Amino acid sequence: MKSLLLGICMIIVLALPPMRELLESVMIVHMLVQLPLLIIFGWIIGKYLLQRFPGFFANWNGNGIPGIIIVIFVTTYWMIPRAVDEALTYPAVELFKFISLPIVGILLADSWKKILLIGRSFVFLNYLSMFGLMAWLYIDAPIQICNNYLVAEQKALGWGFVIITAAMVLFTLQYVFIDHSENLPSE
Amino acid sequence: MKRNWRNHLATIISIVLGLLIIYFGTDGLHAFTAESARTYRLMQEQPAFPEVTLEDSKERVYTLSEFEGKYVFLTFIYTACTDVCPVLELNLKEVYDQLPEKYIGEEIVFLSISFDPDRDDPETLETYRIAFGSDGETWRMARIPDKEELQALLEEFGVIVIPDGNGGFAHNSAFYFVDREGYLIEVMDYQQTEKAAEKVLQVLESELEG
Repeated sequence: MKSLLLGICMIIVLALPPMRELLESVMIVHMLVQLPLLIIFGWIIGKYLLQRFPGFFANWNGNGIPGIIIVIFVTTYWMIPRAVDEALTYPAVELFKFISLPIVGILLADSWKKILLIGRSFVFLNYLSMFGLMAWLYIDAPIQICNNYLVAEQKALGWGFVIITAAMVLFTLQYVFIDHSENLPSE
Repeated sequence: MKRNWRNHLATIISIVLGLLIIYFGTDGLHAFTAESARTYRLMQEQPAFPEVTLEDSKERVYTLSEFEGKYVFLTFIYTACTDVCPVLELNLKEVYDQLPEKYIGEEIVFLSISFDPDRDDPETLETYRIAFGSDGETWRMARIPDKEELQALLEEFGVIVIPDGNGGFAHNSAFYFVDREGYLIEVMDYQQTEKAAEKVLQVLESELEG
């Protein structure tokens, strides 16, 4: 119950106009702080929903695949430059952001446990390459991709993606080369 | 195994839903940036050029009805701009030069509209005009002194202007082609002047022949 209230309250705080103004005025904060926060708070709400309605998730998301498919599509959508741009111009798109991303968090909380190591690796590597592509796109684009943000901001975002991609590569390397046999996840 | 049908159904639904989000989010895979979406939308809607009062480099004041019955080929600039606007203007001139002389001024007028009315007074526009070799008649440079009118026009044509903090502006650039009745019929890539000139010529000739 606590996690449900916490998650909902935090999402409401994020949706307050001054908070939105603050987070959305800078491109990199919009993309790499606000959007992930919405997913994280969704995840927290998901913790509660999973306990409250285990049957629903077991029936409809038994192997975690339906959930993870939604997660991939919705996050892909939010990586299209236009989506972020239009969230600033059209209230309907902004509303969709505040609904779709918490849902992503909820589904992720359920699916991540269920999709096993192979599924997790697939998803992880998928995002690794996607973020790398984003980094290249935003740094290298000679034109202003978003109408609401300047080229300098889009370059900063590109470097943000470089850092994330680098961190993910490092994580992968340590995962592959360091012995994890002592704390294998029980599946 | 029996319970599994829900899971399978959910898998199918989520794929369909996901594809729909991407499809509608990009206008059927047409537009991945807001700029391409804007162009796409403008061509579908063909909005009318709003009632605005222009003041040109020769201090003449008029509305778009000055050009009634003629096509107008226009673009948005500000003279203090150092990056894209000079290119925009040079490219506009290229389109201008590629059209047969008999049409210029008779069937079609060129117009550069400044969205920085504070600095771009007629005197500044006159200097700019001479620098780019426009004649001030068939290719005019004008500002919109009334800020509300200016804003209305920018909004109608989807031009987004943001101050860049150094006294300049970042803005999206394109050529706009307005028909004889004052409706926007085409938004063109300002970097493809030959294609733009071809398109204009095609519209003019198909109309004059038919």
